[in-house]
Amino acid sequence: MLVFDHVIKRFGANTAIDDVSLTIRAGVITAVIGPNGAGKSTLVNMAAGSYRATSGRILLDGAELQTLPKYRIARAGLGRTYQNIRLFDGLTVLQNLEVALVPQSLPLLIAEAFWLAPRGSAEARETSRAVLARLGIAHLADRQAGSLAYGQQKLVELARAIVGRPRALLLDEPAAGLNHGETDELKAHIQSLRSPELAIVLIEHDMKLIMSVSDEITVMNRGAVLAQGAPEAIRDNRQVQEAYLGQPGAMGAIETAARGRRNRVRLRASEGLAWGQS
Amino acid sequence: MTSEALTRASVDRKSVLRALAVMALMPIAVLAIGAVLPTYPLRILDFVLLYAMLGMGLNIVVGYAGLLDLGYVAFYAIGAYTYALLASPQFDLHLPFALILVIGSSCAALAGVLLGIPVLRLRGDYLAIVTLGFGEIIRVLMNNLDGLTNGPQGIARIDEATILGWRLEGPLDFLFLLVGLTILVFLFVWRLQESAFGTALAAVREDQDAARGCGIDTTGVKLIAFATSAAIGGLGGVVFAAMQRFVSPESFTFWESLSIVLVVVVGGLGNPFGMVLGAGLLVLMPELLRAYADYRQLLYGIALVLIILARPMGLLRREYGPSWLARKLIGA
Repeated sequence: MLVFDHVIKRFGANTAIDDVSLTIRAGVITAVIGPNGAGKSTLVNMAAGSYRATSGRILLDGAELQTLPKYRIARAGLGRTYQNIRLFDGLTVLQNLEVALVPQSLPLLIAEAFWLAPRGSAEARETSRAVLARLGIAHLADRQAGSLAYGQQKLVELARAIVGRPRALLLDEPAAGLNHGETDELKAHIQSLRSPELAIVLIEHDMKLIMSVSDEITVMNRGAVLAQGAPEAIRDNRQVQEAYLGQPGAMGAIETAARGRRNRVRLRASEGLAWGQS
Repeated sequence: MTSEALTRASVDRKSVLRALAVMALMPIAVLAIGAVLPTYPLRILDFVLLYAMLGMGLNIVVGYAGLLDLGYVAFYAIGAYTYALLASPQFDLHLPFALILVIGSSCAALAGVLLGIPVLRLRGDYLAIVTLGFGEIIRVLMNNLDGLTNGPQGIARIDEATILGWRLEGPLDFLFLLVGLTILVFLFVWRLQESAFGTALAAVREDQDAARGCGIDTTGVKLIAFATSAAIGGLGGVVFAAMQRFVSPESFTFWESLSIVLVVVVGGLGNPFGMVLGAGLLVLMPELLRAYADYRQLLYGIALVLIILARPMGLLRREYGPSWLARKLIGA
């Protein structure tokens, strides 16, 4: 269970997150939606330790995350993907996953490097391969991550986020830039991740995806929680619709915005190295 | 990767032995060549190995972790002065060479940690500048701590090195020692690269923030990299002092640091074989250019620029390292 308790984040005079209290339960998929600048990514980045909240607490299964350095937050059981893919481009797909399984104790790391402890990497490799197989990308294991197509990179990033068996998984726009086929595949994978021990946060603009996979939706606007509830309730919520464009029927507008964003990301991807398959 | 190939039960003993035999050919060839060379070229060969070893050490920081360290000479100097102080008439101390190999590399490792704690928060250019400064500080200290280091005059009449009754008298003896040490260092850095620690270093090199997001204690990992790299530098320094039997601050200028960085960059970032090649080139080139007297530095510079233009990743690319060769030889 991931809990945001009266979290406030200010950047200078700008209040990005304004007293948000939010509980993300294990076993369900919670989508966080809202217009650009609503504070969705800020929330995720704070939970992951990229920056600190100005005040308030963030708890993972009761343990305070705010006081921990970023790498300890990851070890405490928080896995994430990034809005702009951040793989280790020069490493193979398998190595990318192995990074998340590097032993946590420095003395053990040293001992292993000096032949004083057995190599644990065979096990890490098995685990990594199993996760790749589960996401249907086992055949990419030995490819260099940076050379993969955009959609494949997104899947590798998801694999890296779950290989360490996190207790909270933060997915920051996993479908951005994906085509319809890839989005459907992603949908199946996200659904398959649902487990009683795992709290999943899904930040997305793709309303179709959100409506089909999420169990709960939190709507954010201008740094505050506007509404919370089951997908159907959110869809019919007038307040939510008005928040987007000041008039009913705004869900369509969100989707349009999402599509625009998708195309932008796609364009960015095609300018980069690899946009071939899909 | 390799280890996976090596541990796989299907790999038969014979092909592993064959691989080891092929790999052993390299040092044997070096020793055979050394045995027939006259003194002067033999000494140059010694220096090639010394620089190859230093390159492998610096490569941990520069090639594996992706941090530019321009003050590596400091650790080399610490090793050299450790031997000079503990085995010379300076303080009338005469500790055994083998013991000082351990002390010298430990002192250097300690210095690496002490330097690392404050500076490893810095990145890229900033780190390079601070390490450069550190290298200079050590040299200036050696130059001015007259009571300890004898200042600019340096320390002379350093003891002849002896290991288990084997007196290291001439360059051929040192060639044997250096071949042995280089093999040890080579095996160590190979293992390092293939271990979980190596994976962590690679992640730090690729994207430090994402590495942290994956649970890597980047500061701790970099600190260990710094320390092990420094230890190898110290080891090289001890051997250098024993070989020259004289040390002075002049031997540890910034140019020396730069030369070792060049060994790494020209040889091939992250590839231990590249270090041997890079050291060979960087030590031999000035010798071969000796005939051109005044134009020597110029030609040397031009040659380096041409090499980097032609092969920006160094002569041997990262992926064609020992693991690749082992895989090829075993046929896995």
